[in-house]
Amino acid sequence: MPRVEPESARGKTELVPLWRHDVGDYLSAAEISPDGRLCIAGAGDGVLVGLDLETGERRFRVHAHDDGVLALSIAPDSTRFVTCGHTQTAKVWSASGELLFELPGGGPAWVERVAWAPLGARIATGAGRIVRIWSAGGSLLAEPEPLASTVSGLVWRADGTAVAASAYGGVRIIPVVDSAKARTLAWKGSLISLAWSPDGKVIACGSQDSSVHFWRLGNGKDSEMSGYPFKPKALAWDGESKLLATSGDAAVTVWDFRGNGPEGTKPIQLAGHKSVCTRLAFSPRKGVLASGAQDMSVLIWEPRRTVKPIGFAFLEDEVTALAWHPEHRGLLGGDASGNLVYWKGN
Amino acid sequence: MKKIPVTVLTGFLGSGKTTLLNRILTENHGKRIAVIENEFGEIGIDQALVINADEEIFEMNNGCICCTVRGDLIRILGNLMKRRDKFDHILVETTGMADPGPVAQTFFVDDDLRDLFSLDGIVTLVDAKHVSLHLDDSNECKEQIAFADVLVLNKTDLVSEAELDALERRVSAMNSMAKVIRARNADVPIAQVLDIGGFDLERAVAAKPSFLTPEYPFEWAGTFNLAEGIYELALEDGPDPAMTLVASYLEPDERASSKTAADRALHTWSESPLEVLPSGIVEIGSKQPALLLIEGHPSKRYQLRSRRPGRVGLYAQHLPAEFQMRLLDRGARVLPVAEQEFAAAHTHDQSVTSVGIHLEGAIDGALLDKWVSTLLREKGTDIFRMKGILNIAGADNRFVFQGVHMLFDGREDRPWGDTHRANDLVFIGRKLDREALTQGFERCLV
Repeated sequence: MPRVEPESARGKTELVPLWRHDVGDYLSAAEISPDGRLCIAGAGDGVLVGLDLETGERRFRVHAHDDGVLALSIAPDSTRFVTCGHTQTAKVWSASGELLFELPGGGPAWVERVAWAPLGARIATGAGRIVRIWSAGGSLLAEPEPLASTVSGLVWRADGTAVAASAYGGVRIIPVVDSAKARTLAWKGSLISLAWSPDGKVIACGSQDSSVHFWRLGNGKDSEMSGYPFKPKALAWDGESKLLATSGDAAVTVWDFRGNGPEGTKPIQLAGHKSVCTRLAFSPRKGVLASGAQDMSVLIWEPRRTVKPIGFAFLEDEVTALAWHPEHRGLLGGDASGNLVYWKGN
Repeated sequence: MKKIPVTVLTGFLGSGKTTLLNRILTENHGKRIAVIENEFGEIGIDQALVINADEEIFEMNNGCICCTVRGDLIRILGNLMKRRDKFDHILVETTGMADPGPVAQTFFVDDDLRDLFSLDGIVTLVDAKHVSLHLDDSNECKEQIAFADVLVLNKTDLVSEAELDALERRVSAMNSMAKVIRARNADVPIAQVLDIGGFDLERAVAAKPSFLTPEYPFEWAGTFNLAEGIYELALEDGPDPAMTLVASYLEPDERASSKTAADRALHTWSESPLEVLPSGIVEIGSKQPALLLIEGHPSKRYQLRSRRPGRVGLYAQHLPAEFQMRLLDRGARVLPVAEQEFAAAHTHDQSVTSVGIHLEGAIDGALLDKWVSTLLREKGTDIFRMKGILNIAGADNRFVFQGVHMLFDGREDRPWGDTHRANDLVFIGRKLDREALTQGFERCLV
């Protein structure tokens, strides 16, 4: 396919690649460790690679899950990570790529979701309708009553006190400490993506019927934002919990939660991609957003400042993964052909 | 990128879905097939990836039936696409009680699946022996038949030829678009169930000859073995003053009730009839139907002339019992080797039917659009599938379209060229009002 430069990106800065790595197959997950040293990526053929983030040098390459890796999550201390794929168990690995132990999902379904708590040394797995909570050492701590249907999203509260699981019919909030409360946020529809604001106050979900739904946990108020032409599969909160970026079109729609918003306000529309946006990631640097699309383009935005992209880059296939360095030193991108690129951040 | 074809296998428990599935998987077709199973079957095939999943039916918040999709398929097929080594074909085996509507709709409604997959066809297996237990009272059974592109009448060894003919006519009346195949142990040629292009407009249009299965105007067909000579048809007074009859030669082992024979009779039936008075001659193999004039004549005996020995089919407008109709050979009764009653068009009482409408002339595109939108909004729940080829006024190309419930997909096809311009439209659904549909369609004419 010919490389087409987005019109609105003309004259903007092209990102400088620091290294490239060909993993070989569809990159279903790519993350940067919280200490900023390691990049871990999982592919559609079941391969897992670990690369030195500075140099791009390969640390390990293992075959992790038959028929494909689906998700991965790195421990906050960067010493371990958990993966899942087309297998009935999740796997916990050391940072050097040694398999430490496995976490059975609890049924015949594949484990499709894994999430390592940002605090509190816990892991959550989602397999079919079953959510399981594990200690970081691999002992099963809890298995609440199964959800109404297959878990579509699994996200920890930033303080690690609860995990939220989305499915058809709503969101279940599962507390892991006594002080937190179990809750169900009902919604008659199929929720396909889930993002919990860093301050813990708002849960946002994309829905199969091409809308975004969110709940303010404080007062229980919920709202629906409709009008997307496609399913909003990617959602991202900024570090301040004020901006929610959503996919669902070629343009990225950003809802502003300051003041009384976003209800009744016009969202910020970031136009630049030529086809549907697939990935979104807010940088830890205030207000910087990266978006990736089917058209292989990666665009960098400062939505508060301007609706035009401030930077751009291209991969070689649909963008399937985006992750920022914890201090904004670089941006990691992956595509559907297995290309992994690390660009300079500043 | 070429879309990956998906075949959906439906049918009640015990209808032979798993047998057919195993047959497809073991056949040496060189395809890489992934199977999504909602029913735990006995599949142990190495060449294929078999994924068991619970059926998850997702209704949307707006409550619209056309937005009801299969969440499990969206999720699993989405995950399967995350690899370079793709599959050539996907098979979805539904549960026995599954409604094929949401399965079909999933491939039209979901953004991702629409781009990556194409629904190739719905294959419904029918247990020829036991289906009659469900046909009258099971909505799922009716829906599975109504949605099918291919209907496999399976376990044919357990029922008689006549029962099979009756079943075939019954399912064809429900779904006139489907191709009907008979099988003993799901032994169906793979080419007839995979890559059939059931949802492909191009191929649906190419298959036009079987597009409109007629409802037969006769209520009875009898198969006789006759010698050369004159036979006598003896009648009494009946409900009508006259009755139409077609007498035709059959192949040596053919039955009058077979579809090909009945279709030939239908062809003759549509010609203008030849009035025959008592003691007049009805010629077997005549190109015209005979109209037996009965009322007001003291004798009600007619001559049936057989010019050569062989198998003969008699097709009567009414049941023989209504007119005490008998075939006599020098006074002795000749019994049919087989006979079959047909539910005539006007006596249909089945809740799921097909309505085929043929209209000459050109259609006003705007009127059609308005009519179809209103129709689908009001009756979309009851209209399972719809296909059409239209002659739109002012357009050089044929307009082809199809629908599943309220979802609708239409586009211009190839030019009409020298072919005869006309309009064909078929609905399959529940409680269809043929007259209202015909009138509505007629109002779209320019």
